[in-house]
Amino acid sequence: MSLGHYLLLGAALFIIGLFGALTRRNVIGILMSIELMFNAANINLAACNSYLHPAGVAGMTLAVFVITVAAAEVVVGLALVLAVYRNSATAYVEDFSLLKG
Amino acid sequence: MLQHVYLIPLIPLAASILILLGAKEDPRSPMPFLGIAATGWCLLQSIAIFYGAATGALSLPYGADWRWFSFGATAGGKPFLYDMPVGVLIDGSAAMMLVVVTLVSFLVQVYSLSYMRGDPRFKRYYAYLSFFTASMLGLVVSSNLLVTFSCWELVGFSSYMLIGFWFERPDPPYAAKKAFITTKLGDLGLYLALMLIFCQVGSFQIPQIREFVARGFMPAAAATAIGLGILCGAAGKSAQFPLFIWLPDAMEGPTPVSALIHAATMVAAGIYLVARCYFIFAISPVAMETVAWIGAITALLAATMAMVSYDIKRVLAFSTVSQLGFMMCALGSWGFSAGLFHLTTHAAFKALLFLCAGSVIHAVHTNDMRQMGNLDKKMPITFFATLAGTFAIAGIPGFSGFFSKDMILERVFEHDPRLFAILAFSACLTAFYMFRLVFMTFLGQERDMDRYLHAHESPWPMTVPLFVLMALAAFSGWLLDRGEFFTRLVHFEALPGQAAAHEAAHAPAYLTWYVTAAVFFAIYLAYRLYGGSNFREAESIKRRCAPVFNLLERRYYLDKFFLALVGLGDQAARLAFWIDSEVVDRFFVDGWGLLMLALARLCHLFDDNIIDRSIDGTGGLSVSLGGTLRWIVRRGLVQEYLLWSAAVMSVLTLLTLPAQRYCLGASVGLGLLAILTLLLVRRPR
Repeated sequence: MSLGHYLLLGAALFIIGLFGALTRRNVIGILMSIELMFNAANINLAACNSYLHPAGVAGMTLAVFVITVAAAEVVVGLALVLAVYRNSATAYVEDFSLLKG
Repeated sequence: MLQHVYLIPLIPLAASILILLGAKEDPRSPMPFLGIAATGWCLLQSIAIFYGAATGALSLPYGADWRWFSFGATAGGKPFLYDMPVGVLIDGSAAMMLVVVTLVSFLVQVYSLSYMRGDPRFKRYYAYLSFFTASMLGLVVSSNLLVTFSCWELVGFSSYMLIGFWFERPDPPYAAKKAFITTKLGDLGLYLALMLIFCQVGSFQIPQIREFVARGFMPAAAATAIGLGILCGAAGKSAQFPLFIWLPDAMEGPTPVSALIHAATMVAAGIYLVARCYFIFAISPVAMETVAWIGAITALLAATMAMVSYDIKRVLAFSTVSQLGFMMCALGSWGFSAGLFHLTTHAAFKALLFLCAGSVIHAVHTNDMRQMGNLDKKMPITFFATLAGTFAIAGIPGFSGFFSKDMILERVFEHDPRLFAILAFSACLTAFYMFRLVFMTFLGQERDMDRYLHAHESPWPMTVPLFVLMALAAFSGWLLDRGEFFTRLVHFEALPGQAAAHEAAHAPAYLTWYVTAAVFFAIYLAYRLYGGSNFREAESIKRRCAPVFNLLERRYYLDKFFLALVGLGDQAARLAFWIDSEVVDRFFVDGWGLLMLALARLCHLFDDNIIDRSIDGTGGLSVSLGGTLRWIVRRGLVQEYLLWSAAVMSVLTLLTLPAQRYCLGASVGLGLLAILTLLLVRRPR
């Protein structure tokens, strides 16, 4: 198991997340895909930390922060989805075109 | 005592301001006594300093400086910050000069109590006198040449105010203007000399300049230029050839003012300045010779003019010019002590003579000697005082002028016998015209009965100063010359590398007696021509030599010459005006304007058609580009935005990949792009 394997895993996870974010119609799905991308980044952070700076904890710490921020982001995102759903009774993103110029 | 020497100029200044602003004009105002008290205090201080220097209790020179302000300057090509100090520098000559100025000023102020009584501007007169005294003392003590120059100008200003004191009369304002403008002509040279000094030395401090010169840093050419500039200023202030034309006219001022400013003190300022900067002249033989010759020419010309004047004050004015020429010539002949010695004795006897003339004028209300005569019984004190002054100036052995003039003549004989011949001849002329004055004024028959009957001896404030000055005119030469005292106190310390032997005179002793014999012969001639009650012989000589007399009475046409010079300047100015309005304005200014107008039109066209259009074009391009973009993203679909940004991100990532990973990166990126393009083509709903 080298660093490259981890990075490949991270890249694969990121691509899957990106694909999901671009193709899912349901907002909940999109949020879940974004979570995937966050975690791809977390894998990279943790792997780089333990391979390149085994003594340090900066990468781990940053990963913890990313998890925290992701949780907060999901909270906000779900709140927005709830608010939009109450108004327009739909969870499909292509219907969210209220601000179209 | 020396620590507070800066107060000497400041106290008369304060007195002057107090007198001018502190009281109303009132004939019984006690304000004049304030001026007298201030000057008296200065006199006591000056005498104390002089006494201390004479006994050796005070070590001179004494210098003290206070910081004034700083400015950035450049000297010798190096920029630096100059801390300009204001300070005092008291050496032997300054100590001597302090006594001269304060003493004459004090006596003149006492004298004026009576002479100016009842004048409508009595108080203002005293304010001016105090102001003059303050400026003159500032000039004497200052160690900074720029401050000296300021005081020099203030002295000139006081002189202007006092010559034109009776400005209701027709002549005084004219004379005041003439004096001011003529001296300014000289000051121009002095100012240039000061600037040149600063360029060379980077300081206005006399000790620093002296140090600079002593170390041999000053080039001889610069020293010559500076010396000639200082001489130019001195020639204006000390009435040397050819700028002496203002001094005879300055006699329009009140007579005590003539005694104070235009005989004893201010006109000595030029001599004093040359002496103060003597170390610069010492390294420039050219400047030195010029000083000597200007002095000799002045002495001779002024003496000849004095012989034909009938105005008692004009005779004295010409005699002042002549004696200043003696001093200048002595300085130029390496006779530093001799020149300043004559300055000292001259101040005493010339102030005395002017105050006597004032006393006579006060008694008979005219300046014309042809209307006087036989006044010796009516005004005995004035008569004897005049006699003492005349004996002193003529160089009768035992009187003060004898010692100083003797010293000058010895010195000049050593230096250049031609100068000696001129000065000796001038000395004989001096004796002639001074005794002519005495004979015409006091002896013979009364020629105007009204004036004769009106004549009376002057009151005590006028006679007491006469007594003091009489004593000084008689004894000061002997006292100061005793045991070489004056030379020890006031001498020029030669710069290193220069022969210090310049002061020691080796002229033969019989010279003195030859000159004295010639002087007595001149007195005899004066007695023959003017001793009687009518001047028949003098008149016949005058008729026979009419052209000569004419030349002398017209003052060698120097006034005409300067007027013509001014006229020439006027013509030149007219020509310049014509060129300015007809050539410069028409062709250059107007033509330039037209050219600029054409150019501006061209610019306008360019601006309208090219610049403005290109700006409009940029705006239009932005609008159309914006419209296109809006058409692409107009559907408001979140995923499409994300798609675009992911596509751009992948392209950028591709571009930044390192070269060796390019194939892998390219395949990954292209695969991504393919997926993204597929997604983009797929239109949801």
